[in-house]
Amino acid sequence: MLRLRFHGRGGQGAKVASRVLGSAAFLDGYNAQDFPLYGAERRGAPITAFTRISRDDILERGLVSQPDVVVVMDETLLSDPQSTPLSGLKKGGVVFVNTPLTPLETKEEYGIEDHVITLDITKISLDMIGKPVLSSLAAAVAAKVAGIGEKALRDALEKELSGIISERELLDRNTEAAIYCYNAVVPISIETTEKFREKENVISIPFETALVSSPSILSKGNTPLRRTGNWRIFRPVWDYDACTKCMTCVARCPEGCIQLNEDGYPYTDYANCKGCLICAEECPVGAISKVRESHSQTEEEDQ
Amino acid sequence: MAKEMLTGNAAAAWGVRLAEVDYIPAYPITPQTEIIETIAKWISDGEMDAGFVTMDSEHSMVTAAGAASATGARTFTTTSSQGLMYGFEMLFTVAGWRVPLVMVNVSRGLSAPITLGPDHNDILALRDTGFLQIHCETCQEVLDSVLMAYRLAEDDRVLLPLMVNMDGFFLSFTREAVEVPDVEKVRSFLPEYQPEHAFFRAGQPMAQGVAVLGGEFYSYFKYQMHLASQNALEVYREVSDDFERIFGRKYGTIDEYMMEDAEYVLVMTNSFSTLGKAAVKRARENGIKAGLLRPRFLRPFPEADIRNALKGKKAVAVIDQNISVGKGGIIYSEMASCLYNENSRPLMLSFIGGLGGKNISQEEFDLIFEKMIHAEDSGIVGLPHLLYTKKEWEGIKKLKEIAGRQ
Ligand code: SF4
Ligand code: SF4
Repeated sequence: MLRLRFHGRGGQGAKVASRVLGSAAFLDGYNAQDFPLYGAERRGAPITAFTRISRDDILERGLVSQPDVVVVMDETLLSDPQSTPLSGLKKGGVVFVNTPLTPLETKEEYGIEDHVITLDITKISLDMIGKPVLSSLAAAVAAKVAGIGEKALRDALEKELSGIISERELLDRNTEAAIYCYNAVVPISIETTEKFREKENVISIPFETALVSSPSILSKGNTPLRRTGNWRIFRPVWDYDACTKCMTCVARCPEGCIQLNEDGYPYTDYANCKGCLICAEECPVGAISKVRESHSQTEEEDQ
Repeated sequence: MAKEMLTGNAAAAWGVRLAEVDYIPAYPITPQTEIIETIAKWISDGEMDAGFVTMDSEHSMVTAAGAASATGARTFTTTSSQGLMYGFEMLFTVAGWRVPLVMVNVSRGLSAPITLGPDHNDILALRDTGFLQIHCETCQEVLDSVLMAYRLAEDDRVLLPLMVNMDGFFLSFTREAVEVPDVEKVRSFLPEYQPEHAFFRAGQPMAQGVAVLGGEFYSYFKYQMHLASQNALEVYREVSDDFERIFGRKYGTIDEYMMEDAEYVLVMTNSFSTLGKAAVKRARENGIKAGLLRPRFLRPFPEADIRNALKGKKAVAVIDQNISVGKGGIIYSEMASCLYNENSRPLMLSFIGGLGGKNISQEEFDLIFEKMIHAEDSGIVGLPHLLYTKKEWEGIKKLKEIAGRQ
């Protein structure tokens, strides 16, 4: 059985990617199962989705904790402490990273020892589709890695996307971009061995008084510990030569994280800005541009 | 009849569409919402011909569904966890009306604390309402059970409402290959509902849900419900035989996996049974004669089939994905009472596992088999055991620290 795990940010299409792959595998004659996992969070928060592909019956359910293939749809997730996309990856497994870096650079940058494949699917998506929607592209890469045939992938894209995209032309551009990615990835054979599993020790849990064991929170003010700044896929950047100080962006930011510097120009708190880009949409003079995030820049500039 | 990849939610919606249901009152709740969305879209696209109404709560939703069912309309509605609890009062009422309403419950752990993952305290809280209950392991089974549910509930010998249960997320949001039968075949299995028993007609005034004020009257009506529920076991045999003949898939009141020569038996329900089957396979590779019994019906409780399946077994471990606080596993108690009067009966061990969707690891299954074998060797059955690992204990310690609870 091949177990694939997709890591993306809410809105990037990890769920649809796992579905397209599931359908492609199914149409190629395999047993397949796919499943998304999203918590109580939203756009930008890390989400995972899973696809299982097998010639035999699939006697598994729920999340995949020991994947053969990990698909990292957003590079920033590799340094996100809440995401840890490589956890549980089996020995001999494959990591795909959406990045402009080469596999070698990626391995060095993130200290990955497993087999790495890279492709800048965000750029391909922007160039070929016109916006950063990654589901079909990530599915295509995964399909190639999993050894699924091109015809099955095309049929799966048609089936899964026609329910979500009503414009024929946009659907075709999606398919075209996906097939481009499919062909850009060199086929590989995956030979994973079960990772050495840390044996789980089964225990009996003791009684603890309700002072300890009731589900309430006593500690105060821990919201700042959760930095939502790392949910961003694109960051807003201000051009003060163009800015007229109209204050529209300040008023429209739903997170209230835009403040004014001593010269009266707006700037945002990147530790909490979620990258919704409402500010950029609303600015009447187009003084706010969208710059793609990559992990190192986030870490440094946030300090 | 083509197979396609469907979530449990989509499979349920297909069951409703193929059963050619007339009326659906609805109120959304995660992880069930997709069932309602799918049906609403079909109706608005003209692919399904049914009345659809959004209600202001589950309480009114169940009331509307029961009332519609009492007019002779084939009716469907669905909910989950907290929503089911909110409609709870009306579930008893609707069952007392003796109407063949079919509902789907998508199981999710109950608050507090709040969680999203599945367990069965929601659906098992219903066990005394009069609703029949079918519990499903796969998406295919969800679709098929909705069809069988109408046949069974609408039978004159039964006429009780029925709840089909599936696990939230683990089935409701999981896609796997499902065969969607064609509508002509479904019609030959499930003909149009001919209500002999429909009440509300404009030209035929009558009262429903009346007061009887007297224990002797009340007892009569309640016990009739019990007898009707018992009848369902017999009627179900006909229903499942017809289903197998027409669709080629066989569903008993219980599902038996590698049971024939099994000595050590896991008892589980719903989607986690798949994990149990994998554990049985592994145990067999290690030379343990393992098997799994999955009750599909919990109401009526298929006592005879269970007794029969467990004849001659050495030990049985019931894994309850629920907890009756102050007693323990609910299904354990039911299984134990069902075997108590047998002359020779297996030892029976109780485990609580998978609450709120908690994983059940290989080691936890290993421990269960170990304990069964030890019990068989020593004759001593240990205390009920909550399945929990050291790593999970570390996790809860950390959580308590963050919350300032240490
Ligand atoms: S992108 Fe703009 S509007 Fe959105 S949170 Fe950041 S600063 Fe506020
Ligand atoms: S909306 Fe644009 S012009 Fe107005 S203050 Fe913000 S950046 Fe400047």
